Amino acid sequence: MKKRFGTLLIILLIASLAACTTAAPAEPAEVEEPAPAEETTMEEETMEEPVIEPVTFQVFYPVAVDAPIAAILNGYIEDFQAEYPYITVEPVFSGGYADVQTAIQTTIDGGGEPPALGVMLATALYDLINAGTIAPLDGYIAAMDDGDAYVADFLPAFLSNSTYDGQLWSIPFQRSAVVLYYNADMFAEAGIEPPTSWQSWAEAAQALTVEVDGATNWGLHFSSDWPYWLFQPLAIGAGQNILVDDCTVTYDDPAVIDALQFYIDLSEVYGAMPAGVQATWPTDPPDLASGATAMITHSTGSLTGLLDSVDFELGVMPYPGREEGTYASVPGGGNFYIMQGAPEDQREAAWLFVEFLTRPEYVADFSIQTGYIAHRYSAYDTDAMLAYVADVPQALDARDALEFAGAELATQNLGQVRGILHDYIQRAINGEMTAADAMAAAQAEAEAALVDFCP
Amino acid sequence: MSASSLRKKRSGLPYLLILPTAGFVALFTAWPVLLSFYQSFFLQRLNIARFRDPTFIGFGNYVDLFSDPYFLQVIENTLTYILGTVPISIMLGFLFSLLVNRKVRGVGFFRLAFFHPMVLPMVSAATIWLFFFTPDYGLFNTALRALGYTGAQNWTGNPDLAILSVIIVAIWKNAGYYMIFYLAGLQNLPTDVYEAAALDGANGWQTLWKITFPLLRRTTVFITIIAFIDAFRTVDHIFVLTSGGPSRSSTVLLFELWLERFEYQDIGASAAITVIFIVVLLAFTVTNFITSERKEA
Repeated sequence: MKKRFGTLLIILLIASLAACTTAAPAEPAEVEEPAPAEETTMEEETMEEPVIEPVTFQVFYPVAVDAPIAAILNGYIEDFQAEYPYITVEPVFSGGYADVQTAIQTTIDGGGEPPALGVMLATALYDLINAGTIAPLDGYIAAMDDGDAYVADFLPAFLSNSTYDGQLWSIPFQRSAVVLYYNADMFAEAGIEPPTSWQSWAEAAQALTVEVDGATNWGLHFSSDWPYWLFQPLAIGAGQNILVDDCTVTYDDPAVIDALQFYIDLSEVYGAMPAGVQATWPTDPPDLASGATAMITHSTGSLTGLLDSVDFELGVMPYPGREEGTYASVPGGGNFYIMQGAPEDQREAAWLFVEFLTRPEYVADFSIQTGYIAHRYSAYDTDAMLAYVADVPQALDARDALEFAGAELATQNLGQVRGILHDYIQRAINGEMTAADAMAAAQAEAEAALVDFCP
Repeated sequence: MSASSLRKKRSGLPYLLILPTAGFVALFTAWPVLLSFYQSFFLQRLNIARFRDPTFIGFGNYVDLFSDPYFLQVIENTLTYILGTVPISIMLGFLFSLLVNRKVRGVGFFRLAFFHPMVLPMVSAATIWLFFFTPDYGLFNTALRALGYTGAQNWTGNPDLAILSVIIVAIWKNAGYYMIFYLAGLQNLPTDVYEAAALDGANGWQTLWKITFPLLRRTTVFITIIAFIDAFRTVDHIFVLTSGGPSRSSTVLLFELWLERFEYQDIGASAAITVIFIVVLLAFTVTNFITSERKEA
């Protein structure tokens, strides 16, 4: 009996091990939506002539945003595959920008083959170049009939984080900007005009700060728990962005210090904002919608959500600058990157997909459906967009904010350089250091962090 | 079957049975640990071209870490976090288990109320608490004001309070889990000991601390180990609530490890922190194991 039992057990063990290995899937990441492509990957050798063998490539996409983007992207993929029947696109939805970058990096580290296409933060440029992850795109642009016109059609603010060392490395896809949202009805009731300078901004916020039932409804909410992005337009509006190029930051520039001091003054001098660091990014749009505040600084990506939830007229504008009649903003969001490690045929197919998705009608459609800013001038001439902005003029306000935009913070060793800025901005906001001391210390540490990276 | 062949069969089978598990442990636990030890002696940063290939630097990573004031602050934050979450959540778990170990009506509701936070994913719990912690009108601050609290309310933005906010969320999440273990322990206690104590005239307090708690010693040891390890391992709520800030006041060891590996792309430093992790947790577990076994004997 024991002999038979032992033999049976051994057979079961081997069978279960065999079942385990054959069932192990080849997908690298979670796929939240069933991919419309077949599972078998046909990667044949590329032929010399233009007749192309079937090719399949993957696009890693950060689905963590507040719109049914996965379904939208799948719709675009279907259209693309209808036009290019020999290409199959497999979307892989990976949670967030950091997750996409981590997944691709881990795949490469493990000796695997990265996806041909990925959407990652525009500011990840230098880290990706240094890690050898991405491929330059100039070759593809040069091969186009109208490459120069293609590039010139993009809103310049959105290309400000795409070039390095004379080459183009990424194409804008889902881009946003920092704007000031305000309750136009509240302003009208109080007889105040939308602000046009720091002074009028502070005074408006002060006038709109009211006590209601023992709690304070602040005139302005300005999140600062991940401060660099919302802070940059203050610096730009004061006259100097917080960086010059990938190796030079200007944290201790007098204009930047003034900008930080203005943020502090909004609560200390004008009493228009809660004191200290505000960790309020997710709660600010609901607060504006419910009337708990009159103004918030937020992303244009929240525009669609706000329009759905407000029962007043929603105003959208760039930050007022320090001087009267000046304004400031900063872009954000993700770009398309093509991975160096993917096979040549996949990369070329991926470029065709990028070209397809940046056609004006798709750019317009994506913007209308998701609230991201359409990043090409020609998109605003499409019928769909013209109809949309007739209904939703705020969408044009969002685009126009970019006229006053400086480059988003992107440097070598971005994680550390940005972390240093956050650390010291928050110390100054919480009153642990003066703005001048904090920024001086931040500049010193940032320069030390950049030494290894910059010649 | 003869006696010798029976013994031969028995000696081979157990090893065969644990082979798959041993294989998994070797591949997914032992090998990465060894790899981390190895990598911690090298300088390797993925976002600088000339440092992409590892260079041997001996204990350089460890020296750099321990001479960096930020890392020392991280260690301080971690100790604060451990001291804040482990004892309090265990005591609360014990208290809850005493409360729900009665046959009164509605005790099922209380068991549910105390246990349900454990069912939530940590990110969901942290998101809910993000709204609770909102200054002025968040539920947490409203409740505190109703109790007469007049102090600072910016729990996630104040550098002195940020670590407290993540401690609160961790305690809220885990107390119910430890309650379950204590409950099981309580319900398995022998009743004759209590009868004897009642005969001897022991009051409730004496019964609790001189009989109940000592009898639950093994449960307490077990819960302490998992609470300690869990306090090191769970940082999801820090990502949601404070992002390690403000000014890194709520960055604990695992969060710093994530920063080093995925934000700064520093393979060597992150491997060194991994080794520190392993050493600390291993030392704790082994010490706990040895001292508890010694008490048994």
